[in-house]
Amino acid sequence: MATTDRVPVTVLTGFLGSGKTTLLNRILSENHGKRIAVIENEFGEVGVDHQLVIGAEEEIFETNNGCICCTVRGDLLRILGQLLKRRDKFDYIIVETTGIADPGPVAQTFFLDDDFKQQFLLDAIVTVIDARHIEKHLDEMKEPGEQVAFADVILLNKTDLVTESELERTERRIRAMNGTAKIFRTQNANVPIDRVLDVGAFDLQRALAVDDSFLEPEYPFEWGGVYELPAGRFTLRTGSDAHAHHDHHHDHDHGHEHHDHGHDHGHDHGHGHDHAHAHAGGLGLVMLPVSASNSAALDASIELAVRAFAEDATSVACGGRIVPGNARYAIDVDHDGSHFDIEVSKAGAYAMFCEHAPAEFDLRIDGVRPTAQRAFASHHHDEEISSIGISDPRPLDAKKVNDWLSYLLQSRGADIFRMKGVLSLKGEDRRYVFHGVHMMFDGQLERSWPAGTTRQNTLVFIGRKLDRQELEAGFHSCIA
Amino acid sequence: MKQPSVILERRGSVALDDYVADVSWSGDSRRLAVAGGEGKVFLLAHDASSMTARSVGEHGMGAITVAWQPRGAAFVTSGQDSRLALYDAEGTLLCEQRPAMAWTTAVAWTSDGKRLATAAGKQITLWSPSLEKEHAFAPSSATVVALSWDKPGRDLGAAINGGLVVHRVEPPRFQMRHYKWAAPCLAVAFSPNGRYLATGTRDGSVHFWHLSTGRDSQMRGYPSKVEQVSWSGDSRYLATAADDQVVIWDFSGKGPEGSRPLQLRGHTDRIECVAFQPSGNYLVTGGRDWRVSLWLPGKSSSALDAQLTDSEPTCLRWSPDGRFVAVGERGGKVSIFELVRIA
Repeated sequence: MATTDRVPVTVLTGFLGSGKTTLLNRILSENHGKRIAVIENEFGEVGVDHQLVIGAEEEIFETNNGCICCTVRGDLLRILGQLLKRRDKFDYIIVETTGIADPGPVAQTFFLDDDFKQQFLLDAIVTVIDARHIEKHLDEMKEPGEQVAFADVILLNKTDLVTESELERTERRIRAMNGTAKIFRTQNANVPIDRVLDVGAFDLQRALAVDDSFLEPEYPFEWGGVYELPAGRFTLRTGSDAHAHHDHHHDHDHGHEHHDHGHDHGHDHGHGHDHAHAHAGGLGLVMLPVSASNSAALDASIELAVRAFAEDATSVACGGRIVPGNARYAIDVDHDGSHFDIEVSKAGAYAMFCEHAPAEFDLRIDGVRPTAQRAFASHHHDEEISSIGISDPRPLDAKKVNDWLSYLLQSRGADIFRMKGVLSLKGEDRRYVFHGVHMMFDGQLERSWPAGTTRQNTLVFIGRKLDRQELEAGFHSCIA
Repeated sequence: MKQPSVILERRGSVALDDYVADVSWSGDSRRLAVAGGEGKVFLLAHDASSMTARSVGEHGMGAITVAWQPRGAAFVTSGQDSRLALYDAEGTLLCEQRPAMAWTTAVAWTSDGKRLATAAGKQITLWSPSLEKEHAFAPSSATVVALSWDKPGRDLGAAINGGLVVHRVEPPRFQMRHYKWAAPCLAVAFSPNGRYLATGTRDGSVHFWHLSTGRDSQMRGYPSKVEQVSWSGDSRYLATAADDQVVIWDFSGKGPEGSRPLQLRGHTDRIECVAFQPSGNYLVTGGRDWRVSLWLPGKSSSALDAQLTDSEPTCLRWSPDGRFVAVGERGGKVSIFELVRIA
């Protein structure tokens, strides 16, 4: 059966109150020319005037003897089978899950058998998250993390209810869990419809677009900036300025209340996400003298900073002292309004590298702004769920790849939520493209590598307790 | 080449503007009730010279099943409006029920027509011939996919996602027996002699239980899920299908365990329907190759006859007298073929 014959399906997940229903109603009311059938969870609230709304009782069952990662949605199988009988009446399906649903079984339903694969095309998993509450939800429950991890598209919604710094922190955290999803910041789930429908995330015929930044090398820090500092003493400050005697932080005022909340939360619960970690051990920080206060000098100092971050940290309590050099400090940002003294004995350019982005802590040096700065991809997180990317130009041996992927599916299928990749196989002009959901796997040879481009293997794994070394070692064993 | 002695001869066709989801014969083999996938319920009548159709009802977004009461003058339909509707033989709506929010996707009358079982989601309900609720079982552990009564109407088999359940119905007593098998069951059928219960499963196997001992035999090696199982009238053969293969198990002698099944070759695409003649040994199959084939298992492994359809056949039903086969198609056509011996 031709691919074009298949009905595309979008799976819509998101916690209660995230704005999932708002998005659904927007999709249905917008004039996009599609006739959409909606399979709604039993608590759904889609406007009843929409013709094709079907209520479903989420029913999960194992298709294979005792294998938890071969679970599918039994109710969907029945409903989708019936829907096929009125093919002329609709051309798109949206499956809305309950707030606490694990998206795995829904996604796997579409890989269950060839018959089903011929009829339906899983287009994308879209997850709507409430920017204000997602961190709390991530700390307290496992489903929101799974919903983030499975997503191809994430709407970071209700951005009007949080500060920019909170938003950045949240987005960073989500990005660390899912390195490949397209993230849109929205209010009222306001996103162009073509960003959530007909995305083609599972379509092997479309090239896999992986965010390049995700494949950059990783650093033990998320931010670096250079400052031009005269000799003297400076105040490094975090959080609110409750302790401050000077009042030039007006641009942060707006965020105080929310920020306090975030801190209280991390402090109270101590769930071991990155901030709790930072609070417990202190925020990692290195301050190095550099040759000039520009980005070239900043870049030139990266290697030194990486080395400094490998050293044991010196803890600095509030009011303590930081001396530029190659020491790594762990500054105590455990309460709001921390401040530290920076002693600069010689005027010049200094680079500061932080374990987390300064915006997350409102970290700043009084009266001085960085003259150049950049963010770094850091996967230094304590999240249980993470993404791991591998990028390597060396051609692979087809049989070894097959053995390795089979092994991975069997041994780590439960923990690997999503995997996808484009592979360069030795002696093969075409690209091998694959994707998988838990143990359900789909892969095939696709179009040839375009002339003039470099052949490159690109693989992404998203899952729980992923071991980068293990995955990289496995990958290296496949090199032809 | 051997000259075929029996063929399917087209007696008539009607084009309904609807996907044919299900058809069911009246007890006198003169009428057909049709469930349209987009909602309509039709009543068809045929005689030697003509076939007529009229719409008698509607099931909101789609009709799912239709089942004529054996020996009776009524038929029941279900649809995506969650309704269950009872019509008389003239197509007059007599009564309707709403057993559950979920759609009723399986209905089965006992062979004497005195009791109806329906399955909606996890809910199995028993009804009187006038559609009064007799009994609602406690919800199954999973969605019920198919139902089958044994001949006396005492045991009701239910294929569910993750196993097989048999309810013993001896009102006021209702007992349940669970045949544990981890694979989801897709089809269920009691052998007419009451000795076996057969299921087709999603993991590409067929199981049958020896009802006297509860012993389970698994027949594997199918290329894909098995959604079709049908017993011959004498209980000798069990016809099953997966992909383009028709596989027949022979229950004569020591039974099929350890034997090689008969394989009937001819279809070139997935088989959607398999039906043995009631109280006979002719078998019809319909597939996505737009073909309806007639077989006589045990006599020949090639088709006696094959008829092309205008679109994919979606259901095949023998008339109770075993003379006719009704074929419903995705494109809306319903045809009646007669089994004809040629000299």
